[in-house]
Amino acid sequence: MTDALVLPPAPAARRGTGSVVVTGAAAASAYGRGTEALVSGVLSGRPAFAPVQRFDVSGRRVGFAAAMPGLPELLTEVTRAAGQACDDAGLSPSDRARSPLFLAIHGDPAIARAPEADKPGHGPEAFTAAVAGDCGLAQEGIRCYTSACVAASTAIADAAAIVARGHADRVVVAGGYLVDCDQFALFDAGRVLADDGQVRPFSTGRRGLLLGDGVGAVVIESGESARARRAPPLARLAGWGRTGDAYHPVQPHPEGHGMARAVTAAMQRAGIAAEDLGYINAHGSGTGQSDPAEANALRLALGDAVERVPVSSTKSLHGQSLEASGVLELIVTLLAARKGMLPVNAGFLGTDDRCHLNLVLGEALAVTAEFAMSLNAAFGGANTALVIGLP
Amino acid sequence: MTSPASVASPSLAALSAAAAAAGLTVSASASWPETGTDGEVTPLAGFIESNFSPLLAQVAERALRSRAQPQAPGKVTAIVMVTALGDVTSATCVAAAVDAGKRVSPLLFFQSVPNAVAGYLAARWQLTGPVVCVSGTRAGMDVAALLIDDADADEVLVVRVDLAVTEGDRDCAAAIVLTGPAHGELHRTA
Repeated sequence: MTDALVLPPAPAARRGTGSVVVTGAAAASAYGRGTEALVSGVLSGRPAFAPVQRFDVSGRRVGFAAAMPGLPELLTEVTRAAGQACDDAGLSPSDRARSPLFLAIHGDPAIARAPEADKPGHGPEAFTAAVAGDCGLAQEGIRCYTSACVAASTAIADAAAIVARGHADRVVVAGGYLVDCDQFALFDAGRVLADDGQVRPFSTGRRGLLLGDGVGAVVIESGESARARRAPPLARLAGWGRTGDAYHPVQPHPEGHGMARAVTAAMQRAGIAAEDLGYINAHGSGTGQSDPAEANALRLALGDAVERVPVSSTKSLHGQSLEASGVLELIVTLLAARKGMLPVNAGFLGTDDRCHLNLVLGEALAVTAEFAMSLNAAFGGANTALVIGLP
Repeated sequence: MTSPASVASPSLAALSAAAAAAGLTVSASASWPETGTDGEVTPLAGFIESNFSPLLAQVAERALRSRAQPQAPGKVTAIVMVTALGDVTSATCVAAAVDAGKRVSPLLFFQSVPNAVAGYLAARWQLTGPVVCVSGTRAGMDVAALLIDDADADEVLVVRVDLAVTEGDRDCAAAIVLTGPAHGELHRTA
């Protein structure tokens, strides 16, 4: 059936001529703080889900998430990650002072319970300014993205586009989501949480998603600027695409049209063919409608190469980090490609005929992936694709 | 395209000024409230408790309807939403229910992010471009200009919504439909 799908024509994506690289990264997740904890956690193949201890879930249908121990605070965690990414990139205080911050968050967690008169002081821009200030980053040009599960990936795409066009030498992009009682209640009410405590993307018997702590930051920089600083790139940010489905408020286009166009645009900007992709970190939410739509999108965009490109959704390991997903999963993709080890698509029970993909199953796969792609999708039919290339 | 009635909107004035500064062409615009015509926000099926999504949809459709001509088939329109505090009414409502140990409506799940109403608009008007939400007008305009520059969109619908938060405030919103300059590519510094 999917062979009959045809992707509607779309204009060719353009980009500035400058090269774009990632020169620093930092992360925190249920596997712990630091990129090494994240990559060793996902490559272990052991999902980080456990009963929620952070708040009372006794009235909820589902009680699992992937959370760090204790009561981490979003401002502290995001500030730490952004600062560590700057350190990782070797940015001097004056480099930082010229670098704007693009932050992806749901919002200031304090706003919902703040007294009425204090709410205006808890907007996302004030939160972003506080992070930028604490990290010594520029206040001019800061942005806060709140576009749900594509917030961070959109921020990264925008940062890359700006740098490629020479409008900025460098942008620090950070995102953060920490499992909280309000979002947990909403997702539980929406009946999208997996009641068996596992996320099983593209698998038969999948029961839904589970939330997970996710904090990540990357330094997006022009190749020229990195060379001038003698900063070794972690990867090239080779291509990016973002599109809309124009289909439904909260459901993806079932044939994956929007995501297929995002994948195509990202490959066009990267100047690569489907055969060049060595790994895809899928959106892979583990929900009934989203996974087949994504599989259709990949078949549309990649053609026969979809049979060969290894795919996994690491949401099956670290959970769904909402607005932060795009940056956390780009870091996973980047680190996995650098190590030459691809994380598994955990929780797999059996092949769903609607989701035929070359999934990484059983254990991490040793492979050389010169180019890898990270995909995200969100309510509103929003889709993003990011392509990294090894330096 | 700006009507005399809508000039009074500070949101629309800010959007128009930012569009001009970014070198973008305004092909349609609208605001809420418009003088003497707008009382209560018209409810939107599937969205409850908060005016955020209904207001965003209403002002956006007002702007889209006022375009001199509809978007040509095959052309791509992006949606960029701008809001300083987001849907603070829904967020407050959810927190109150959670703190009281009450059931949270599933409808609040769907409207917990601004993307849902963007998806509603995109489906109704076949807007196949990127969906983005940022916190400031300047950022929203920079995003719009970049999407046009890089051929991610031929046209961008920018909508700003600010709900009343404190006593005496009133919900307000504005929408603007933008295209690139008549000749050539945009040239800006960041």
